[in-house]
Amino acid sequence: MTVTVSRAPAVRQSGWRRALTSPTTARILFPFVVIAVWYWIYYTIDSRIFPTPLEVLEFMWEEITLTSGVTYSSVATNLYGQFGISILRLTIGFAVAVILGTAIGLGMGLSKRVDAFFHDPVMAVLAMPALVWALFLGIVFGFGHWAPVLTVILAGIPFVIINVREGVRNTPKELVDMAKSFEVPQDKITRHVLMPSLMPFFFAAMRFAYSIGWKGLVVAEVFASQVGMGWTIKFWYDAHRAKGVIGYALFFIIFALALEKLVFDRLARRAFKWRPQLGAYELAEGDFAGVAGEGFLLEGDEIGQSVQVTGMEGNTGNG
Amino acid sequence: MPSPSFLESPTGDFQAVTSTLEKTQAPRSAEEERLIELRRRENRQKWFWRVAGYVFILGTWQFFSSVVFDPRVVPGPVQIIQAFPVITGEGRFLESYAATLTRIGVGFGLAFAFGVLLGIAMQIPWIAGFFKDAITIGLVTPGLVWALTGLVIWGFEPQGWIFAIFLTTYALVTVNIAEGVRALPKDLIDMSRAFGVTNWRRQRDVVIPFLAPFLFTALRFGFSIGWKVTVLTEVFSSNKGIGFEMRVATQLFKMDEFFAWALSFFVFALILEKLVLQHYERKFFRWREEVAT
Repeated sequence: MTVTVSRAPAVRQSGWRRALTSPTTARILFPFVVIAVWYWIYYTIDSRIFPTPLEVLEFMWEEITLTSGVTYSSVATNLYGQFGISILRLTIGFAVAVILGTAIGLGMGLSKRVDAFFHDPVMAVLAMPALVWALFLGIVFGFGHWAPVLTVILAGIPFVIINVREGVRNTPKELVDMAKSFEVPQDKITRHVLMPSLMPFFFAAMRFAYSIGWKGLVVAEVFASQVGMGWTIKFWYDAHRAKGVIGYALFFIIFALALEKLVFDRLARRAFKWRPQLGAYELAEGDFAGVAGEGFLLEGDEIGQSVQVTGMEGNTGNG
Repeated sequence: MPSPSFLESPTGDFQAVTSTLEKTQAPRSAEEERLIELRRRENRQKWFWRVAGYVFILGTWQFFSSVVFDPRVVPGPVQIIQAFPVITGEGRFLESYAATLTRIGVGFGLAFAFGVLLGIAMQIPWIAGFFKDAITIGLVTPGLVWALTGLVIWGFEPQGWIFAIFLTTYALVTVNIAEGVRALPKDLIDMSRAFGVTNWRRQRDVVIPFLAPFLFTALRFGFSIGWKVTVLTEVFSSNKGIGFEMRVATQLFKMDEFFAWALSFFVFALILEKLVLQHYERKFFRWREEVAT
């Protein structure tokens, strides 16, 4: 993170000391401290099932190289199968949420009546925990694909709607007015004025919908599925194998981080290459730009204020 | 595609203009009368569509309940309201709320305190660097993962759910505070440095007052995640509380009671989050114009 407080050292420090006190050193130090704390817990709680980091790594390696000998189910026999099914569910739910949400969001941004019609239901869905959807849809649709996919849709769609609506509202009025007075046709206004100003919001929407959808999916897979990543972690939990639970938790974190950093960051950079100020903005915002958004989208009514801090990335937890 | 709605208004912010017009006692011109009438019509329309939205949602729900699925599987709105006396009458109601609120109080309370301190400490680059990855991980990891990890390590001991609630919410609090730290007025800090103000006083008199609105935001956002993960931990590792009651209701196929529990706490949390906290936020910051708006 880039902290703006400047620190002008009165005395010039030696290179040695500077290296020790640099934020990068601290960042590298962090995993070692985590491992130390882990060992400390290991020795203090004296639990037979709590693993050491090495045991977890060994477990993860066996899962990756398929040498653990565990066959989960006939549909998805190993780590890759489970991941594949989860990603498929996430993708389908995410696509539906983005398409439907964009349509509703555009309608809400363009018309006050549509806005009044959808506003309160969207807010209610937004604040509903994924757990409620998961438990309910599991009862309704059984343990198939429907419950997880619908949970992803219901968890993600409010974020898309709210962001797209905000994007339409954020269209610079002067530009639209000017285009109108120069008799630019409506479809050109849509394409050259509305769309570009909508884009950052649309990206924020995708990102939020993805990360919320992913969290919702996990919950749904635990409660309403017999396959998938969420189910696998539950499998190890039921088997009382802490190394399985922690190992799969780490797979989760790695996957979520990778998608966040590799896919969404790249997509955003590519989509906004033509807008130099945004690139600069991103750099200045530092690394938390993405995450600060959390609240903003939970709190639909205050978007105006928080959009400036959020930019186009984000991440949320739905419990 | 129709033009954006703000273009349909005769003046940019005509709701505000007309509301001041309405308050003035002086005789109004015909044009002013027309504007007021327009505003009233717009408000009436807005309310009409709003009610229509509610009717549509409740109607769809009822339709799914009685036609598409079975009312025992998808209880209709009326059924759910009828289940409220059932869940409140059993004596477990207050006990459940007390249990859940205790968990939120302990788990989220710790996370909030730590998150705020960490956010303020983010002024020091070394600490910011150290916790950078921790915060990213805290934000991307589903609460469920922490809940199960905590459970498998500590079982039903309080450490398990404290671990889960803490790790799911602290990063969000920190990020909101760090957002405030980034916006700190550099000139004030530079000035206090130039005048030799001690670090402690600088923190107390410049940094913390400046961060106060961010504290409130962090509290509200953190709470909105906090209650959800708390309920989630109760589903796994408790024998009382809202989450536990929800699990029992689904296991017994009492879907109306399930929804009654879920909705009651949902409404409770929303009221706390939107009305109570927002009210105090406004009251607290009445003296600061830019925040109050």
